[in-house]
Amino acid sequence: MPILPRNWPLWLLVLALITLPIGVGLLWLLLTALFDQVHGLRPVGAFSPENWRFLFEGSVGGRPSIWVALKNSVFFATAVAGLEVLIASMAAYAISRMKFPFRTPYLGMILVLHAFPAVSLLIAIYYILRVLGLFDTLIGVILVKASLELPLGIWLMKGFFDQLSWDMEMAALVDGASRWTVFWKVALPLVRPGILALGTFALLSAWGEFILPFTFIVSGKSWTLALYMQSFMREAFVDYGLMAAVGLFYATPVLLLFLLGQRYLLNIYSGGVKG
Amino acid sequence: MKRGIPVRLEGLSKRFGKVEAVKELDLTIEAGELVAFLGPSGCGKTTTLLMIAGIYRPTTGAVYFGDRRVDHLHPKDRDVGMVFQSYALYPHLNLFENIAFPLRLKRVPDGEVRDRVQKTADLLGIGHILERKPAQVSGGQQQRAALARALVKEPQVLLLDEPLSNLDAQIRLSARAEIRRLQRDLGVTAILVTHDQAEALAMADRVAVFSMGELQQYATPEVLYHRPKNTFVAGFVGSPPMNLIEGEFTGDGFRAGELRIPIPGAPTGKGWLGVRPEHLSLGETGHPARVLVVEPLGREVLVVVAVGEVRLQLLLPEGEKPAIDREVQLVFPTRELHFFNAEGRRIGPE
Amino acid sequence: MRRYLTPLLFLSPATLLILLFFFTPVVATILLSFTDLSTTTFKNPSWVGLRNYQDLLADPFLKKIFFNTVKYVALTLTFNVGMGLLLALLTSLVPQRIGDPARALWLLPRILPPVVYVFIWQGILAEAPMGLVSDILGVSKNWLVAAPWTVVILANGFVGASFGMLIFTSAIRAISRELFYAAAVDGATTWQTIRRVVLPMLAWPILFVTAYQTLSLLTSFEYILLLTDGGPGFYTTEVWSLRAYHLALSNYFGNVEFGLGAAMAAVLVVIGVVVSLFYLKIFNFKALVSEPKIEIN
Repeated sequence: MPILPRNWPLWLLVLALITLPIGVGLLWLLLTALFDQVHGLRPVGAFSPENWRFLFEGSVGGRPSIWVALKNSVFFATAVAGLEVLIASMAAYAISRMKFPFRTPYLGMILVLHAFPAVSLLIAIYYILRVLGLFDTLIGVILVKASLELPLGIWLMKGFFDQLSWDMEMAALVDGASRWTVFWKVALPLVRPGILALGTFALLSAWGEFILPFTFIVSGKSWTLALYMQSFMREAFVDYGLMAAVGLFYATPVLLLFLLGQRYLLNIYSGGVKG
Repeated sequence: MKRGIPVRLEGLSKRFGKVEAVKELDLTIEAGELVAFLGPSGCGKTTTLLMIAGIYRPTTGAVYFGDRRVDHLHPKDRDVGMVFQSYALYPHLNLFENIAFPLRLKRVPDGEVRDRVQKTADLLGIGHILERKPAQVSGGQQQRAALARALVKEPQVLLLDEPLSNLDAQIRLSARAEIRRLQRDLGVTAILVTHDQAEALAMADRVAVFSMGELQQYATPEVLYHRPKNTFVAGFVGSPPMNLIEGEFTGDGFRAGELRIPIPGAPTGKGWLGVRPEHLSLGETGHPARVLVVEPLGREVLVVVAVGEVRLQLLLPEGEKPAIDREVQLVFPTRELHFFNAEGRRIGPE
Repeated sequence: MRRYLTPLLFLSPATLLILLFFFTPVVATILLSFTDLSTTTFKNPSWVGLRNYQDLLADPFLKKIFFNTVKYVALTLTFNVGMGLLLALLTSLVPQRIGDPARALWLLPRILPPVVYVFIWQGILAEAPMGLVSDILGVSKNWLVAAPWTVVILANGFVGASFGMLIFTSAIRAISRELFYAAAVDGATTWQTIRRVVLPMLAWPILFVTAYQTLSLLTSFEYILLLTDGGPGFYTTEVWSLRAYHLALSNYFGNVEFGLGAAMAAVLVVIGVVVSLFYLKIFNFKALVSEPKIEIN
């Protein structure tokens, strides 16, 4: 607020107290991953490379290697983000800048779908993937994930395209460009902030995605890191040290992004991106 | 460079929903001519320009470049260059790439692009700053870059949409002259859209005055000034604007309230009398009037006087500045009086 | 028609995917709910009319699941909106160089992979010596089993609170500075400023967040699935959407009952369609549409 209350340190204390659990949770993850034994938050015993054996051993308990899962996760996240950004940008550009019949209803449909809870469609999507022969393939899950986030992506990108100057686009047309050229050479470079925002959002969201691969992927060779880690949760005896190490490994890109770009993340998530 | 070609508009109309932005426009621009579209905002001048450029589709009517009908063509197939009020430079490209953009789209070989961009940029005096991004150069330089981009592909038609209105007053005057000189040298047919009547009169061979989507008059600056076709043109062209007095013509004079002016050979009936501020003067004998406002403009003084309910503006030499509230004697000229009928149309020779 | 070839080209990939993964599933969910599709009849399901819906109503556990769902949505929603509001206010009452990082920290639960996030909860709540809660309280128990509902709501709430926090923060930032200055000149206390200046401006955002999150909570089950999978014990934390998922897609019981699961999902889909259409109506859609200024494609 423009005027800070004089007793703001008091409010800070309250804020710190309710935020504490998040910090404690992360600290617990870090300590448990690094040390042999942790009692609560007190490390007992030495630093333990044993927790990190999944990195060196080919497979842990008959699972595929973590490197296979990592490769799948990287492919999954980048493919989803790439597809989503490209397809959403194209559609958003048309909706924002072109004249065609049913433009308004189309935009209305996107907005309805943006609010519509897509998880309720999983059962039918399972059936559709089976029919298309895409069940148990990464490609299938990539298409589903990118599609379910399209309304959000289109909506976000439309907001960015809406702000472009009409004069500039007219100038490009007079200069001899087609709409397609204008899109690639003028419009897209100018909505870079939008592409970065949607791209980051899609990357993070796909990187963490659990329910879709869990539902639509069976074979170990197509496991993503989410499935790899979850497979430990299902075991009767839980090796917390190992799992914490896997979890830390899996969450590292997210934590790095958090450390390097807090402000950037805040902008993305408050910029109308769906919660 | 190749010469410009004539541009002909035939029955051109544009409707946005229920609004008629341009109505049944017929107009021909000769090859190599500079024509100004003049009018207040929302009069349809920019809409017409965008139809010529190919950004808008005409609702009805046709656009010809020479003998070629172009209204169904995409802008890229029309061979026009255009400068926008906002300049519309691409912020992510440097000036060189901005100017080169039309050539790159035509897949002109690299070497030729370099030569032509440099030549055009030098012509406009921005050859030394081509590496900079638009945000790093002044408004005047941006305007030149926009002009260079429009000219680099040697178009047959050059469209200028308020190209000077974002410039400082000082640069604006020199830019006027420079654009005019370039356009003459290149021989390109040019259309200038502006709301500034001084700019239109100073730059154009002919001026088309627009109001409410309709063409009011299309003539040389001299004709517009001396023989405005109607009260709209009379009031819009010239600064300060012509005094337009509503009253009645009596065959030998004109009267409006207390104001009575003898005019031999005047028409009869209700109508408007027009007289430019620079043609009114003060004298020993004339029409009694009271001075309301005195506004020094430098070399001249703008004076507002009242004759009963009627208010008139005068432009006087600095030395003849009257005092406020004084009674003065207003002298009407015998020539340079304009007669308009009750509908506002000019009476007499056009 | 050639005039619209270009927009068609731009829109076709998105349209194709939306048709394939939104429209077809909506229709398919409803159609499947009228069949006896299951593992044994996957190749040739037959039409059973409303039987799945009759079975659903006859299910003795339906009542429990219904009330679980109401409890889950109501309590999590309250936590989300309340905590979101509290966080937005608190982070606005401290200097921005502290408030911004605090807000960013609250984004972490949302952006951490759900599997990792849930694992941290499980670990902290585990028996001693690992479990932090057991360690602090000196009572060794698996607290996830001891208090499943509290955990489900807190775990979901810590993820959901940031949504409200961000929306409310933007709303607070949008309030004109002069209003705060005027309140200060009038001698208002911090509490009075919040009560009289800030909260009235948040009415609409609160409504929006509540409406939006009701719908998404009603259908979301990812964190419950990972945390308790509906347990511990018999349907303790099983909610409607999770039940539908279990029936149709989890193979713990061998034979999955697609038709029945689809019937439960169909109820959610219909609610989703109706409510999101309703949102479109109230959140002034027309204001978001303006005519393109270029007419050629």
